[in-house]
Amino acid sequence: MTFQDLILKLSAFWASHGCLLQQPLDLEVGAGTSHPETLFRVLGPKPWSVAYVQPSRRPDDGRFGQNPNRLFKHHQYQVILKPSPDDVQQLYLDSLEACGINPRQHDIRFEEDNWESPTLGAWGIGWQVMLDGLEITQFTYFQQVGGIDLQPISCEITYGLERIAMFLQRVDNVFDLEWGGGVKYGEVRLQEEIDQSKYAFGQVDMPAEAFARLHRDLFDQYYGLSERLLASGLIWPALEHCLKCSHLFNILDSSGSIGVTERTAYILRVRQLAVRIARAYVEDPLAVPEGL
Amino acid sequence: MDRELLIEIGCEEIPAGWLPGLTAQLARHLDARLKEARLTTDAPTESYSTPRRLTARVVKLAERQTDFEELMTGPPLTAAYKPGGEPTSAAVGFARKYGVDVTALEKHETPKGTYLAYRVHQRGKATVDVLAEVMGGLLRDLTFPKQMRWDAHLEDGRGDLVFARPIRWLVLMYGGRVVPFVIRRTETAQGSNVQDIRSGSQTYGHRFLTTSGRAGRAIKIKTFDDYQARLLENFVILDRAERESRIRRELETHARRMGGRVSGLVAAHSSLLQEVPDLVEYPSVVGGHFPVEFLQLPEEVLTTTMIHHQHYFPVVDEKGELKPAFLAVTNTQPEKPEIIARNAERVLTARLRDARFFWDADRKVTLESRIDRLSTILFHKKLGTYREKAERVAALARWIAKTAFGQSDEVAHHAERAGRLCKADLSTDMVRELTELQGTMGGIYAREEGEPETVWKAIYFHYLPIGVEADAPPSRQQLGAASVTWAAVSLADKLDSMIGMFAAGERPTGSRDPLGLRRQAQGAVKILADLPELTGVTARIALWGLVMQAASPWGFPAEAQQVARMFVRERVIYLFEQRGFDVRNIRAVVPLALERFDIVEARKKLEALAQLGGSEALRGVATLFKRVKNITRDAPPVSADILAHLKEPAEVTLRSELESRAPEIRNAAARGEYREAFAAIAALQPATAKFFDDVLVMTEDEQLRHARLALVAALRDLILEIADISEIVAEG
Repeated sequence: MTFQDLILKLSAFWASHGCLLQQPLDLEVGAGTSHPETLFRVLGPKPWSVAYVQPSRRPDDGRFGQNPNRLFKHHQYQVILKPSPDDVQQLYLDSLEACGINPRQHDIRFEEDNWESPTLGAWGIGWQVMLDGLEITQFTYFQQVGGIDLQPISCEITYGLERIAMFLQRVDNVFDLEWGGGVKYGEVRLQEEIDQSKYAFGQVDMPAEAFARLHRDLFDQYYGLSERLLASGLIWPALEHCLKCSHLFNILDSSGSIGVTERTAYILRVRQLAVRIARAYVEDPLAVPEGL
Repeated sequence: MDRELLIEIGCEEIPAGWLPGLTAQLARHLDARLKEARLTTDAPTESYSTPRRLTARVVKLAERQTDFEELMTGPPLTAAYKPGGEPTSAAVGFARKYGVDVTALEKHETPKGTYLAYRVHQRGKATVDVLAEVMGGLLRDLTFPKQMRWDAHLEDGRGDLVFARPIRWLVLMYGGRVVPFVIRRTETAQGSNVQDIRSGSQTYGHRFLTTSGRAGRAIKIKTFDDYQARLLENFVILDRAERESRIRRELETHARRMGGRVSGLVAAHSSLLQEVPDLVEYPSVVGGHFPVEFLQLPEEVLTTTMIHHQHYFPVVDEKGELKPAFLAVTNTQPEKPEIIARNAERVLTARLRDARFFWDADRKVTLESRIDRLSTILFHKKLGTYREKAERVAALARWIAKTAFGQSDEVAHHAERAGRLCKADLSTDMVRELTELQGTMGGIYAREEGEPETVWKAIYFHYLPIGVEADAPPSRQQLGAASVTWAAVSLADKLDSMIGMFAAGERPTGSRDPLGLRRQAQGAVKILADLPELTGVTARIALWGLVMQAASPWGFPAEAQQVARMFVRERVIYLFEQRGFDVRNIRAVVPLALERFDIVEARKKLEALAQLGGSEALRGVATLFKRVKNITRDAPPVSADILAHLKEPAEVTLRSELESRAPEIRNAAARGEYREAFAAIAALQPATAKFFDDVLVMTEDEQLRHARLALVAALRDLILEIADISEIVAEG
């Protein structure tokens, strides 16, 4: 099964179980959770089921394309089921079977692993799903987002696409995966990984100080813009610019441009903004058509 | 007739670590609820669990509640009747409340007078009619380390039903028949695929395995025995002990087949064998190998990767050396175990490949040059970075080794060096990836760099001890030449965290202890309590002196000192309690003020008191000692002049006894021979008892009164030098 076949299988499976197929957020984010299709939709009472791929950037995990398992950018397949159906675990297992993983031939386990995002004021209860000792999915019942208690509870299923594809194709190096039509993952992404890693670790043709200053400035400008957008009641663009700040903070962090005390202060600022945006979304009667 | 009660709460996977506690809670709370409901049983409640179910069974539960009778008291007789004998409105009202006539009331005599009363008599209801309430109460009683909301509630008006994980089915059967019970779902969630959970007589077996029919289908059951048998047919072993022995058996068989045995490290360093039976419903073991080249990695890295990260059991040969092999406990009965084994091998090999990369990369940078990098890692926002912490720990470790332990400059220098380097491994890739190896890796890297054993082992073990037991690791044998430097660094690290936090105005509360200060304090107290045995250091160590030295980089306001004193004192008491000493004796030897307190001395006193446990004479002195303390609160200072006024034989005898015993008691204490010291105190019993029998201390004669008080005060001061023995006869 190629990398793209895996995406197609999961999409077909979840579409047939009532999910809307959405597209990735066209911004730099660290996880599918940041996408408004998750972050906003799980708030309020309106039922919503959606599935999408989310390219996820973790600057700190960049390895210049040299590590067989670790990437600056990996791909998550994100499913949100709101409310969470009673047979959600069985549905998930069926989706694995649809991808060619026969549960009777493997050891599949749900092991305790709770999720928390300090920058989004969010947390949930759940498991990591282990397939013969390999963590392939994060399975979470959201409890709070933006500091707001959720009702109903949404279930978030996050598949690690590269991991599952490597398992299915029995390859030990992510760059050896077949993306599709005989083209290797490395052909598609290796150069990008090298370039992005260099950027993330500040290996740029400019003095470190100027690099840091530029990114701090960008952070402040996007932050200010997000606040103005929020004040204008433009919640979607406000979130997008808040996410920009989050990514810039990650770059500042991975490139060693900020000290420790500053680091905590940055995290706190992003959280405060994210929480205000989530609150505004819940309070905005137009944003939540039913209820409240 | 008594019948069987069977409850099964079917859940999504409950965290393994919670199951032992939840299983115990289930039996305890069910017993309490049945008792409260006046339902009698003649055998203890049995409880069981697997990751997907909590099960309770009562073999014989009475068919009816016991009858209920209660005397309800009304108005006093004096207020119940008018002078003419007519009932008052109070009496009429009371009778009406129970729907009877005043004539049906009876008189009830109490010490406070006679009252009108009504005897309520209620026949017990049928058990089936009260079990729903028991079930509701039981679901509410269970508590979890972390609870979740899952859009569920009960019809008891108490709102959300939080639980460990969502409940998916419920068996509630009495005498083979279903007792109706329902868990409702919140309106916002309810729909075709979110439904109420109704009690039934159906359970579910293993998700993927079955001997007949479709795996995961509902299975109808009748009795507990039937239930347990049907579960087994469907690949669920209900009894945890059975799962555990099956795991042990299979591990041994597979290890033998691989030409080795399961590493003893599993038992010593982790709770793996405790945890796996709660991760599986139907365990079986598969064995795998990893490339032999990875055996060049430090053993600690290999075992941590296997045990902590993959839940795999390392295999060793007959000499105890690691083999390139592991065993995995799976939750299945695999058709082709080799498929699972190959996959497990791939996961482990990928992890070991990462580890080797870290091992090679980390060693290119010395620990010394990593110290600078510690300035980018925050220890605590009020206490600065790890670089600052390392500097404080180094200085404190040096002071402890040199001044407190009285060791040579060389030892002090090694303690300082170990303190300086002990946090450097936090900037290594290995520790960032395998955080459990903090300290351990620092020690290993220091060894690789050629640091002496006194330094590298002090780093290696500096996060220990964790427990407070006398034999909690590390042992003196493990520490080798590093025992003194280790004690200095480990104490310095713990005291620095603890006192720094107190100085910053933070304090741990019941539920919040972010830096684990309780554990840190216990670790420090444990080192001090066993210092002579662990290190050979016999110098007397004033605990509070260490605290004040640790506080020297900070301001340490009086209020913070008070909080710290209470906290440290509690930890000392905790350690002694955990070691099984009598709580009264502990209070006797741990004073409120810690300024001159030495834990080793206190421990020796407790050991002596435990040996002298039954000494009547000592208890006799202790009983009198309470009186002594009471009457001498305002006693004048003792002097030979005052004592010269004593003339009664009993008081003269006590004085000479006191004067002759005092050196004996003090000498014994100075040598740490507290049995001797307490025996000498006990020997004061006859003279003290006779004194209180024959002499009136509070006599009219002021001079004589002062003399007697001074004598008693001298006795008090002498005994208090050793212990406040009045506590050993205190109640409770």
